[in-house]
Amino acid sequence: MSQTLNPSPRALREAFYALSAAQEIPDARLLDDLVRQHPQYGAELTEFAIALAVDALRGDRAVEAAEAAIDPTIVSPAVSRAMSHFQNRLHAVTTSGLKSVSEPATVPDAPNPFSALSRGEFRGLATRLNTNAVFVGKLRDRQIDPDTIPPGFRARVADELKAPLDVVVAHFAGRQPMPTGQFFKADGKPTTGAQQSFDEAVKNSGLTPEQQAYLLGL
Amino acid sequence: MTAVLPILLGRCEANLGVTVADGAIPDAANLRQAILDDLTELFVMDGSGDFPDELDFYECKFNKAFRALRIDAIRRAERRSKRSIEVAEMPELEVKSMPDAFEDAFARVSDAFKVLPTQEWDADREPILQAIEALPPDERDAVVLVHALGYKEESDDPEEETAATRCNCTGRTIRNRLTRAAAKLSRFKEDL
Repeated sequence: MSQTLNPSPRALREAFYALSAAQEIPDARLLDDLVRQHPQYGAELTEFAIALAVDALRGDRAVEAAEAAIDPTIVSPAVSRAMSHFQNRLHAVTTSGLKSVSEPATVPDAPNPFSALSRGEFRGLATRLNTNAVFVGKLRDRQIDPDTIPPGFRARVADELKAPLDVVVAHFAGRQPMPTGQFFKADGKPTTGAQQSFDEAVKNSGLTPEQQAYLLGL
Repeated sequence: MTAVLPILLGRCEANLGVTVADGAIPDAANLRQAILDDLTELFVMDGSGDFPDELDFYECKFNKAFRALRIDAIRRAERRSKRSIEVAEMPELEVKSMPDAFEDAFARVSDAFKVLPTQEWDADREPILQAIEALPPDERDAVVLVHALGYKEESDDPEEETAATRCNCTGRTIRNRLTRAAAKLSRFKEDL
C-alpha cells in the first residue's frame, strides 16, 4: 500500500476496511467479531476502532464543504506529485514485469542501503530481524532471489533500515556485486554465484530452529 | 485513468486538508502527501501484489475505504515517529466530590456518539471532540470503549470481552482512567 510508510499486513488491512465500511461508529459486537477472526491483531483492531469512533465525531460537513470548494481545472502541487509518483511506479511495475519475461529483473546501479551500516549496526539489524549476520550478509550481497523474499519481510527490512521500500526492493532486484580486490585464475570469465531462494537461505545460514520457523512462517 | 485520477486525488486532497490538518498532527503535509501516494499505489498494484483486489473496497464505498486508508496511515506514522498527537495540557483536578458532573460529562460523550450529525449538533460536538482528543491515549481509549463502543468496564465472566480485556488491563485500571478522564471532561464543559 504505502511507499513511504510500511503497509499493514493484508489481513489487517482487510479488517480495517471491514470495520470502516460496516458502521459509521463501530460497536463492541463488530469489533469482537473481527478480533475473533484475527486474534493476532486484537490490539491494532481495537486501536483502529477507537480512532474510527473519534473520527466519526468530526462529521462530514467540513469535508463536504472543502470538497465542494475544489476547482477541478486546477491541479495542486500535491496532486501533481501524487500523479508523478503514480506514473513512476506504473512505469517501474510495467517494465519490471516485461523484463521478468525475458531475463531476471536487475537494477545495476541500485544503491545498497546496507552499505552505510557499521559492524555494530549490522549486527543490531540482524537481531531486530530475528536473523543472524550471515543471513543479513546474503541480503546485503543480493544472494537471495528477490522474487522469493516475502513482501512483509521486505517491508520489515526497509523499516529497520529506515530506508524507503522502493530503495530496498530495488537493492534486492539489483545485480549481484562482483568481488573486487581479488584475482581470479580460471579459464572462463568470473561470474557471480547463483542466487538462493529465501527458504534455502533461511535453512543454510546457521539460524536457530526458532528463527527458521519464524522466517519460514512469514 | 490519467485524466480522471487527478480529479479524484484533488477531492482526496481536500478531504485530507480537513482530516489531517496542519497543527493537529505532526508533519501533516508530508503525511497528506504519503496518503495520496498510497492511494495511487492501489491503482498501480490493482490486480497484482499481495492484495490484488484491494481497490474493490473503494469501488463499493470509497469514502469509508479512504477513511480506513487515512486512519491506518496516521496510526503507522504516529507509531513510526513514536509520537502521539500533541494535545493541550489539561489541568489536574480534584476528583473527589464531583460524581454528578462526571456522569453528566459521560452522558454528553455518549450522546455525541449516538446522535447523527446535524447542523445544530455540530456546534456542540466540536468541543466534545476536542476534549476527547485532548485526553491522554489510555484515558481516551477507556472513554471510547465504554461510552462509544458500548463495552462494559469489566465482567465476572472470563469469556466476555470488556474494556479491560481490550486494553489488556484490570477493571480497576479502566475505572481509574475513566475517573481521571471524567474530571477533565467535566472541567472542559465548565470552560465552554
